Amino acid sequence: MKNTNKLVNILVPLASVLLAFLIGCIIMLALGANPLVALQNLWTGAFGNIRNLGTTLSRATPLIFTGLCACFAYRCGVFNLGGEGQFIMGSIVCCVIATQSGITGFPGILLCLVAGALAGGLWAMIPGLLKIYRGQNEMIISIMLNYVATLLMGVFYTNWLRDGSVPQTMSVPKETMLQRMFGLRFTSAFVIAVVIGLLTYYFLFYTSKGFQLRAVGLNMTAAQFNGFAVKRYILVSFIVSGAIAGIGGSAELLGTQYRLINGFASGYGFDGVSMALIGQLHPLATMLVAVFFAALRVGSTTMQAATGVPTSVSDIIQALVIVFAVAGLAMVKLPEFKAAIDKLSAKKEVK
Amino acid sequence: MEEILRMEHITKRFGDMYANRDINLDIRKGEVHTLLGENGAGKSTLMNVLIGLYQPTEGKIFLNGQEVRIDSPAKAVQLGIGMVHQHFMLVEAMTVFENIILGDRQAKGVFIQKEQRRREILALAEKYGLDVQLDKLITDISVGEQQRVEILKALYRGAELLILDEPTAALTDLEVEGLFAIIGKLTGEGKSVVFISHKMREVLRISDRITILRAGETVCTVDRANASAGELASLMMGRELAPSHYEKKENPERQVVVLEHVDYNKTAKHSGLSDVSLTIGAGEILGIAGVDGNGQSQLAQLITGVITPDAGRVDLKNSKVAKFMPQAFIEEGVSHIPEDRNKMGLVGDMSVKENILLKSTGLPRFSRFGGMFLKKKAMKDYALEMQEKYDIRCASIEQEARSLSGGNQQKIILARELEARPDILIAVHPTRGLDIGATRFIHDTMIEARESGCGVLLISADFDEILEMSDRIIVMFEGQVMGEYSGKNPPVEEISLAMAGK
Repeated sequence: MKNTNKLVNILVPLASVLLAFLIGCIIMLALGANPLVALQNLWTGAFGNIRNLGTTLSRATPLIFTGLCACFAYRCGVFNLGGEGQFIMGSIVCCVIATQSGITGFPGILLCLVAGALAGGLWAMIPGLLKIYRGQNEMIISIMLNYVATLLMGVFYTNWLRDGSVPQTMSVPKETMLQRMFGLRFTSAFVIAVVIGLLTYYFLFYTSKGFQLRAVGLNMTAAQFNGFAVKRYILVSFIVSGAIAGIGGSAELLGTQYRLINGFASGYGFDGVSMALIGQLHPLATMLVAVFFAALRVGSTTMQAATGVPTSVSDIIQALVIVFAVAGLAMVKLPEFKAAIDKLSAKKEVK
Repeated sequence: MEEILRMEHITKRFGDMYANRDINLDIRKGEVHTLLGENGAGKSTLMNVLIGLYQPTEGKIFLNGQEVRIDSPAKAVQLGIGMVHQHFMLVEAMTVFENIILGDRQAKGVFIQKEQRRREILALAEKYGLDVQLDKLITDISVGEQQRVEILKALYRGAELLILDEPTAALTDLEVEGLFAIIGKLTGEGKSVVFISHKMREVLRISDRITILRAGETVCTVDRANASAGELASLMMGRELAPSHYEKKENPERQVVVLEHVDYNKTAKHSGLSDVSLTIGAGEILGIAGVDGNGQSQLAQLITGVITPDAGRVDLKNSKVAKFMPQAFIEEGVSHIPEDRNKMGLVGDMSVKENILLKSTGLPRFSRFGGMFLKKKAMKDYALEMQEKYDIRCASIEQEARSLSGGNQQKIILARELEARPDILIAVHPTRGLDIGATRFIHDTMIEARESGCGVLLISADFDEILEMSDRIIVMFEGQVMGEYSGKNPPVEEISLAMAGK
């Protein structure tokens, strides 16, 4: 029974990916391209050689952070859709410290990451507090705060930290930048993301508090009746979730972008939510999904160059994966579907 | 008097369970006919069949001598059957007038002839003495007036037969008088009323005839003139007292819970407590008898720290409770078998194992470094041990708790709550919906807890269970303690009357 469930949980995302690619192929055929060649180019572009792999991991890094951010809050039963705002707040504070404090090198990096985490955590605390003390809908508040953060960032790159005539902030000093690894595009930010992913996994599944947090997420009333401080868990999960996004913002700034600029982090928040949902709120799966999406994005450029299939086909495939995965997971919860699965597994047992 | 409605041999089955079995009911023109019965006796199911929400599995319905098929609530309205539900079906943000004409099907053309409608409604209201303010919002009028709106709405749609489901539950005494006057006018004009109530006093006053339901079947129909409260109560309960399996204890040495003059949400008769004083002794089972929804849920939640009383004093093991939080109560040794096992007791999406260990993963036995690393092996071994000890029947302890039967779910909760070796156990409907085997097991386990010195509060809507288990019985009605009785040779009739508020 349990095993069947697990199997279904893996099969649904896989099936959605296959379906999405199938439709993608039909579109390519309609465009007059050979889908097999196009897909091969997509693969080469993303994983074909070690350089491309590095680029893919670099693109995956911010998605991992926002994915874990969404995943952590969902696990406690609250919906943090403000990953983008928290990510941006982290990068703003990081940018201020990196360019203004004069502290450089390793201490500078450490300070930037910690400050980024704090900024993201505090930003996420706002919807958390409003939810537990005023009963406000955390989804709406956290989404609205995304706009506040984006516009605040605008003030920084157009006014306060503006670098000359271009609307962008000055660059992070070279000594504070995160180093590239093995001469490839990806930096130690990726390592930080993976470590945080592993820590999240460990916390959720190997500690007593993590266990209780999941219980709160699955049934708040029962958690309350069993003596868990539900409100505290909700607030803490918001803060931690925001802190993960905040570190992500710092790491992205120090590792990849170096400057705040129009469009920085745009879309990362909702991408993260999709990663977490397709990864079924499992931190490790969420990371894998993030890498998969990054691969689609990186590979599509090669595909376009080699076969003339536009990158938007890759966007379509990404969107379809999300649609199918979410629909599939909803379908699995239907009573009719559950009954069918039970029948199947009962048959197996008889054999 | 001529007959307006006859229900013949009505049977309604849900799966294997009979909610109604071979029920016969006839309603005469211009009478008030009361349906009397305990919770789960089948009153609501029968009425839902009558207004077309349910289709009967078997049986026929005759209206004015003609057989009818009522396949939807709209059909019921068309046939002149109106129902005022216990919880009103009104749109709060709309005015009284709008609520009354809402969903009315006699509209001609695109526009609503408001003036004409208004005149019609006012005439109806006048005729039956239904005093309503047509232009007020529903939110701004009293509960009594909302009820009058519901009645007016049903009459406006042409109801000849009006079903009132526990109409007095939410009313003040004065409003009840007003309602009775309205009922008098309705029957005077030849309308028939089906009255559903638990309250003996009201039933005896208002009814012409009374039909008693028990366990989904009709017991009998009696004329009010030939009925007495005591007789009705015993017909409703329908039992000879069977001797209890268990030895009853008396005079506990010390008290583990003391409530003094506790109030909670006092004005709400059905979800509040008013001036409740009681004690639970170590090594005794205190049974709370009463019809569901007379403050029992609030009592249980109060003694488990889920809600905070408005006034009064609560002592646990001789010290006054300062903070009402479930955590604090659990630390004081209070265990809780909550009324709704799926919602309050279990995390359905977690496994049997995780639910057994829900409260205890932080203990050194199950984790290292103060909860920082779970000992998965120890957790599994313990869960297996509990599965054996409490006879939890499941394919695997990794199975989701949601997928187990009610009895086995309850055993998970029992294992978790009793292995904490509580000093106080609050058990609310612990055997509701369970089969005989599981019920017996749970009863035996509760007696064992009593023998080891635990003070048990048993709340149940099942009167038999209360009689069987309790060393002492307290009856609750509308949030108040109606009386206290010994569990040894309890005066059944007296208790039944107290449960009905007399």
